[in-house]
Amino acid sequence: MELSTEQIDDILVIALKAEILDASNSKKFRAQMTSLLEESQKVVFDMNQIKFIDSSGCGTLLSCLRQLNGNGGDLKLSGVQKPVRTLFELVRMHRIIEIYDQKDDAVCSFQ
Amino acid sequence: MSALQDTGTNKPANILVVDDDLIIRSLLKRVLSKAGFNVFLAENGKVAIDEHLSEEIGAVLLDLQMPVMGGMECLRYINKHYPDLAPIMLTANEEVTNAVEAMKYGAFDYVIKPFKSKQLVALAQRAFQTYTQTKRLRKVEAELIDARENEIFIASKIQRSLLLGRPPEDIKGLKINALTIPSQKVDGDFIDFFKLDDHTVDVVVADVMGKGLLSAFFGAAMKSHFLRALHELTIDAVECGMIDDQCMLQEDSFHLPQPQDIITRVQARMIRNLEELESFVTLCYARFDMVQQTICFVDCGHVRTIHYKAASGEVDLLQGINMPLGFPEIDPFIQFSVPFKEGDLFFFYSDGLTENRNPANEMYDEDRLVNFIKLHGYLEPEIIIESAYAEMVAFADSKTFDDDFTCVAVKIDQKQAYTQLNAQAILEIKSDLKELARVRFFIRKFCENVPDSLLEPKRIDMLEVAVTEVATNIIRHAYAGRTDEVIQIKAQMAEDKIILLFYDWGPQGFDPQSVPPLQNISKMAIKDLPEGGMGCYIIAQSVDEVEYSRNQKGKNCTSLKIILAPETND
Repeated sequence: MELSTEQIDDILVIALKAEILDASNSKKFRAQMTSLLEESQKVVFDMNQIKFIDSSGCGTLLSCLRQLNGNGGDLKLSGVQKPVRTLFELVRMHRIIEIYDQKDDAVCSFQ
Repeated sequence: MSALQDTGTNKPANILVVDDDLIIRSLLKRVLSKAGFNVFLAENGKVAIDEHLSEEIGAVLLDLQMPVMGGMECLRYINKHYPDLAPIMLTANEEVTNAVEAMKYGAFDYVIKPFKSKQLVALAQRAFQTYTQTKRLRKVEAELIDARENEIFIASKIQRSLLLGRPPEDIKGLKINALTIPSQKVDGDFIDFFKLDDHTVDVVVADVMGKGLLSAFFGAAMKSHFLRALHELTIDAVECGMIDDQCMLQEDSFHLPQPQDIITRVQARMIRNLEELESFVTLCYARFDMVQQTICFVDCGHVRTIHYKAASGEVDLLQGINMPLGFPEIDPFIQFSVPFKEGDLFFFYSDGLTENRNPANEMYDEDRLVNFIKLHGYLEPEIIIESAYAEMVAFADSKTFDDDFTCVAVKIDQKQAYTQLNAQAILEIKSDLKELARVRFFIRKFCENVPDSLLEPKRIDMLEVAVTEVATNIIRHAYAGRTDEVIQIKAQMAEDKIILLFYDWGPQGFDPQSVPPLQNISKMAIKDLPEGGMGCYIIAQSVDEVEYSRNQKGKNCTSLKIILAPETND
């Protein structure tokens, strides 16, 4: 998946440049993340472009969260679209990962 | 001598003698009675007419010169009122010219006084025989006409009740009305309707060249050819395995025989008969598919069907490129498909309408009909048909037409359009995760048929997730990640539900029991959070019913059912 990263102080903002995060691309995405997340503790995924996510996508996000938690870090999400949010609510993801409408809000929450 | 009789009716031979001379009357009474006649006497024409003339009189002897009413005047009366009765004129020598004149007015012959009794009796007998034979001939003629009328009446009755189809009333979202009036008692136009399933109906409007019995029987032959073609093509499809007997739904419109194939078969069957009888048939065969919301038609040289579009109020003419049936056609029959919308109307007709002529011998023509439909297309079908008939009567200034008159109006009903939820679609994909996007696109497209009131956008979003999960489970578990296997997805929509069937042929199928049931993850410690296993939970939460099954042939089926919420504000 194409990604763009932005470092704001000690916070790493990763924008997901794809429309879907499902079984077809979540494994690759997870592999891309492993090294990126090793260096950081405070990470924001900007999900603005993601229109669809499935259980594999959710699992991948949880896996990323677990990796960061393991290093004493945290993962926050921003720009979550409506259909994605609907699924998050169904599986209660929104209670485990903090979700913000705007990227800046997510960044601020770390500061 | 025995009494003379009418050999046809066995009635006595009545003869009327009209003469002012008492002696002649007495003489004639005697000789004629002796010859077997039943004799009536009158002293002049007036008495004869007033007192004696009736259907019972078989011969008349009529004197030319009489007071009150003479022979010529009486002859004219007889000729007018009893045309089969031919009097023998009695005449004096000096009146021969008049007697010859009398022959022109229908006299049988004339006899000059004084006459020989034998000669007169012989003449009277001949006149009586001629009368009875003429009468018998007339009777036979009348019986023949009756018999023929009766046969045509029966043919017309058979045609009306058995051959001319009645429009189906139970196709949801469609209103159909038809009218056909034969120019003779039997119709050369042919209409029929074939209801193929709950949402598909075929309409045939045909015009057999010629009128009357021959074309009516042609209609009969055509009907049976159409039915046979439909039947045989359906059987062919089943035998070719195009229709899966295990999961065939009644709503399956995919494998119905196509109009162009039906016409091709009918033409092949009828071409020789048509050539032998030197006849041909123009027709329009149109299929209304309420799921696809399209009309698919084959036009064979028929007058152009008028499509009224409710949204714009404009009309289109549906025209094909095929020759009439019976022409030595080499090119294949081609069908065309045109979408329709709520409120649209299709007007089929025969050239009896466009070629209807007014007293000034002008044709009604297509332009007038198109304008008429443009103005009246918004009306209900039965009213349009009634108005079209009234329009034609007014134009022709006559209630009878020179040609058979047929029209069929098919309206896409606005009120019922929202319940047209019978659909089926099939998608086949490779067992590759790259195909997931196609599965979602397929489902989203399929759900476009359902109004938001029955299926909220949010539920469609969830359904997309559910089908992704099902397909992923099949690829990962049933096919163990092999990417060259096949998954077949059937989406079916009935009145109140959507059923999605996922078929795979994996050796084990996907066993939902193999996945541990998902608990409420928000209460779990983050380290325990599962990365998989959420799929089954999502599926169960997104649809109303999930079922997994496997048949004896090793075909696995995952079935999802989505109940459509009933419309609350009808």
